[in-house]
Amino acid sequence: MKGKVAKISSVLIVSALLATTGCTNSSQTKPTTSDASTATADPKPDLTPMTVRLGTGGPFDPYWDEMQSDVGKVIKEKTGITLKKEFSVEGGDPQKYYSLMVASNEYPDLVSGGVSQLVNAGAVLDLAPLIDKYGPNIKKVYGDYMKRLRWSNTDHAIYALPWPGVNGTTFDAGGGFEIQHQVLKELGYPQIKTVKDYEAALKAYKDKHPTTADGKPTIGMSLNAGEWQIVISVTNPAFFTTGAPDDGEFFIDPKTYEAKLHYLRPEEKEYFRWLNHMNDIGLLDPESFTQKYDQYKAKIATGRVLGMIDQEWDYGEALNTLKKEGKFDQTYAHFPVTLNDTYKDHSFQDTGYMAGPGISITKSAKDPVRLIKFLDYLASDEGQVLINWGIEGVHYKVENGKRVIPADVLEKKNNDANNFKKSTGIGNYTLLSASYGDGVKDPSGNYYTTTFPELIQAKYSKADKETLAAYKASTYLDLWPKKEEFPVKPWGAAWTINLETGSEADVIKTKCLDIMKKRVPEAILAKPDQFDAIWDAFMKDLDKAGVQKLNQAYTQLVKDRIKLWNE
Amino acid sequence: MESLTTEITRPAEGKKRKHRFWYTMLQQRYLYLMSVPFVIWLIIFSYVPIWGWLVAFQNYKPGKSIFDQKWIGLKSFIELFSDERFYHVLRNTLAMSVMGLIVGFTVPIIFALLLNELRGRWFKRSIQTISYLPHFVSWVVVAGLITKMLSVDGGAVNQLLMSLHLIDKPIQFMAKGEWFWGIVTISDMWKETGWSSIIYIAAMAGIDPEQYEAATVDGAGRFRRMWHITLPGIRPTFMVLFILSIGNLISIGFEKQFLLGNPLVSDYSEVIDLYALNYGIGLSRYSYGTAIGIFNSVISIILVFTANGIYKRVTKETII
Repeated sequence: MKGKVAKISSVLIVSALLATTGCTNSSQTKPTTSDASTATADPKPDLTPMTVRLGTGGPFDPYWDEMQSDVGKVIKEKTGITLKKEFSVEGGDPQKYYSLMVASNEYPDLVSGGVSQLVNAGAVLDLAPLIDKYGPNIKKVYGDYMKRLRWSNTDHAIYALPWPGVNGTTFDAGGGFEIQHQVLKELGYPQIKTVKDYEAALKAYKDKHPTTADGKPTIGMSLNAGEWQIVISVTNPAFFTTGAPDDGEFFIDPKTYEAKLHYLRPEEKEYFRWLNHMNDIGLLDPESFTQKYDQYKAKIATGRVLGMIDQEWDYGEALNTLKKEGKFDQTYAHFPVTLNDTYKDHSFQDTGYMAGPGISITKSAKDPVRLIKFLDYLASDEGQVLINWGIEGVHYKVENGKRVIPADVLEKKNNDANNFKKSTGIGNYTLLSASYGDGVKDPSGNYYTTTFPELIQAKYSKADKETLAAYKASTYLDLWPKKEEFPVKPWGAAWTINLETGSEADVIKTKCLDIMKKRVPEAILAKPDQFDAIWDAFMKDLDKAGVQKLNQAYTQLVKDRIKLWNE
Repeated sequence: MESLTTEITRPAEGKKRKHRFWYTMLQQRYLYLMSVPFVIWLIIFSYVPIWGWLVAFQNYKPGKSIFDQKWIGLKSFIELFSDERFYHVLRNTLAMSVMGLIVGFTVPIIFALLLNELRGRWFKRSIQTISYLPHFVSWVVVAGLITKMLSVDGGAVNQLLMSLHLIDKPIQFMAKGEWFWGIVTISDMWKETGWSSIIYIAAMAGIDPEQYEAATVDGAGRFRRMWHITLPGIRPTFMVLFILSIGNLISIGFEKQFLLGNPLVSDYSEVIDLYALNYGIGLSRYSYGTAIGIFNSVISIILVFTANGIYKRVTKETII
C-alpha cells in the first residue's frame, strides 16, 4: 500500500511539474525577447495586449469599470495592459484573503496590500532592482523617501509600492463626529467641542423631532459596529477623543516609545462610559452592534440618523444617495469632538511619509518588467494627470495654463459620484502605483490631484457652506487642531507596523481583539452601574490572554521602525 | 485495500468466508475490474492528501517543501487543547449541530408523512416544490432576510408581536446570545425542511400499497397505518442518513453562524470551523489549522462507528 501510494503520488507530481514548466516555458518566451529589446534602447514600448490580474483584499467594488471607462481605455491603449481586479469573496477581513492566497499558493500578477503575509511566504519580488532599471518615474515620485520603502533593518529589499501619495497635505477632514446640518441649523449652530456638547445637540433636536417629515422615528446616533468597522466607528474614536493619534490598535508613548494596546488607557474607559450613557438615555441606536453594514448604510440613506461617529469613506455610498435625492440638510458636518476640553484631537499629527502596504508584484507574474513599466507609466506626470483628472477636453479643460473641471462634469462628479467613477474611471486607477499627494504641483504649475483647497470648497454643498460659515471656517479641517501644533511622529503611524504573522504576539493580538469585540459592546449596552464590573472583566481577560507580552513585542517593532526610517 | 470497498458484511460466517471471498472475486473479476478506476480515484483524492497531516506536526511555512519544514511534534495539539476558547467553540458546534440534527430529522419526516397522506396530486406536487425552493437560496440572502425580519427597527417579527400586544417593547433578537442557537436552528429548518423531505417522500412511494390495503381490511385507521407501515418502511433510509449525518456533527461549516452572528453573540455563535479559519489559516498558522482538522476527522470517525455500533446492537443490521 505504502509503495503504491508513493508511486502514484510521484507520477502525479512529475506530471504536474511537467505541466507547469510547459506553461511557463511557452509564456516566458515573449518576455525574454522584449526584455532584450527594452534593456538596450527601448525605442518603442511593448504594447502587445496582456491581461494582468490584480488581487485586492477589499470586497467587490460595484463601481470598478473593468477598463471599459474613458480613462481605462486610454491606459489600455498606452500600455497594452488590461487590468482584471479580483476581490475578496467573503467581503470581510482582507487579512483572510491574503492568507488564503498563500495557503493555496496561487497568486495573481499584482497584489494590493497584504505584503507581510506575502513576504513571509516568499511570494513577492524585490522591486528595488526593477525600479532602478525601469522605474525612473517611480523613483522621482518617492524621492528621498525611497529608504522608507525598505523592508527591514536586515532586509533592504522593496516589496511594495506604498499607496499613500507622497508629500500630500490634507485639506479636508472626513472623520470625527458627524452631525446633520439640519440639527445645527435648528439649534442655531451651537458649539460642538466635547462629547457633552454633541450629546446636548442630538438630544435637543431629537426631543423636538421624534420623527422625520415622512413619519419615521429619528435615530440619535448610529455606529457601524456589527462588522469589522467596529474599530473605525467605536474604538478608534476612543483615542481620538482622548488626545492620542491614530496608531492602529496601539498607543505609543511619544517619549519612551513604549507601545501598549490602546484599550488599556484609563482615559478611554471614560469615553466608553460616555457611549454607555448615550445608550442609557436612548440616543444610541440599539442596533449599532447587531446591524450589518448594508443595514447601516440603508439607515443613513433615509436621512433618519442625526449623528454618527465614522469616516466619510465608510458611509460614502449612503451620503451619495442623500445628495442624489437632494437631501442636503440631512448630510453631515464633521467635528473634532473630544471627551472634555483638556484634550486635543490628534488626527492630523504629522507622520512624515508613511510607507507601508501597497502594490506588490508576485512571483507568479509572467512579465515583471512589463508590470513595473506599467506601474511606472501610472506614476509618470502623464499617468498621474490621467488617473486623477481624466482626459483633456473631456473631463477637464486647460484655461490660461490652468486645469479646470467644467461645471457640468463637476456636478456629476460631486452629486452622482458612483456612476461618474464607473463611466469615466476617474478614481478607479489611483492607489495602483506611486503617486503624488494632494497639493503637490506638476511642472506646469497645476496640482496632480483634484483635491486642493479651491476644489474642496467647490465640492461643498450649500448646507456645508452654511454650516462652515457659521463656525467661521472654510473647510472642516479648519475646525481641527493644526498639524504644526504637534511634533512629527518618528515612527510614522503604528498601524503600518505589522507583527510577524502567526507569531505568538500575533496570536495574542487576535485573541485580544476578539475579547475587545465582545467586551466593548457588552460594556456599552450594559446598565450604567454594571459598566465598571464589565470593564474590569475586560481588563482581566486581556491580561489573561497575555497582553503584556504583546505590548513588549510591539514596542520592539516600533523601536526597529524608528531605526529603519530615521538612521 | 479491501477495507476500502464498502460492502454489506453479514455476521456469523466463520472460516469459510476467506475461501469464498477469492472464489467470488474470480467469478466477478470483470465487475472488480470495472470498479478499479473508482478505487484509484478514491485513493488519489481521499487518501493521498492525508499525508498533508504531517503539517500538523511541523512549523509549516508555505513556499518550502513539506520535507524541509521544522518538526515541532505535538506542540500544535497541546496549544489547541489548552486553549479555553477551543472548548467554547466545541460546545457551540456540538450544541448547534445536535439541535440541527433533531429538528432536521423530525420536522422533514413529519412533513413527508403529512404530505404522503394528501390525495390531490397537483396540490401535493406544488406544495413539495414550494417547500424545497428555499434550499436554493444562498445563506447570504437568508441571513439578510432574517436580520431584517428580527430587527428592532421595523422588523416584521417585532411588529407582529407588538400588534398582538404580546410585548410592549421590540425585542433585540440578534443581541441575545442565548437565543442564537435557536435562531440558527429555526432558519435552518425553514431553509432545508422541504429539501430533506424529498428522500422520505420517495421512500414512502416505494412502500407496497398492498400492505396498506391489508391493514385497512384489518381495521387499521390512518394513524395506525402511518405508525405500523409508513414509518417502518422508511426506517432503513432514515438510519443511513442519520448515521452519516452523525459523522458530520462536528463539521457543520460556519456559513450560517458567520453570517447571522455579530460581536455581541460571539460567545454562542463561534463554531469550530470559524475558529480554525481565524486562528489557523487566518493567522497563517497552517499547522494549527491542520491539527484542528485532524481532531475533527478523528472525532467524526469515532462518532460514526459508535452510532453504527449502537444500531447494530439494537437491530442486528449494519450499514457500514
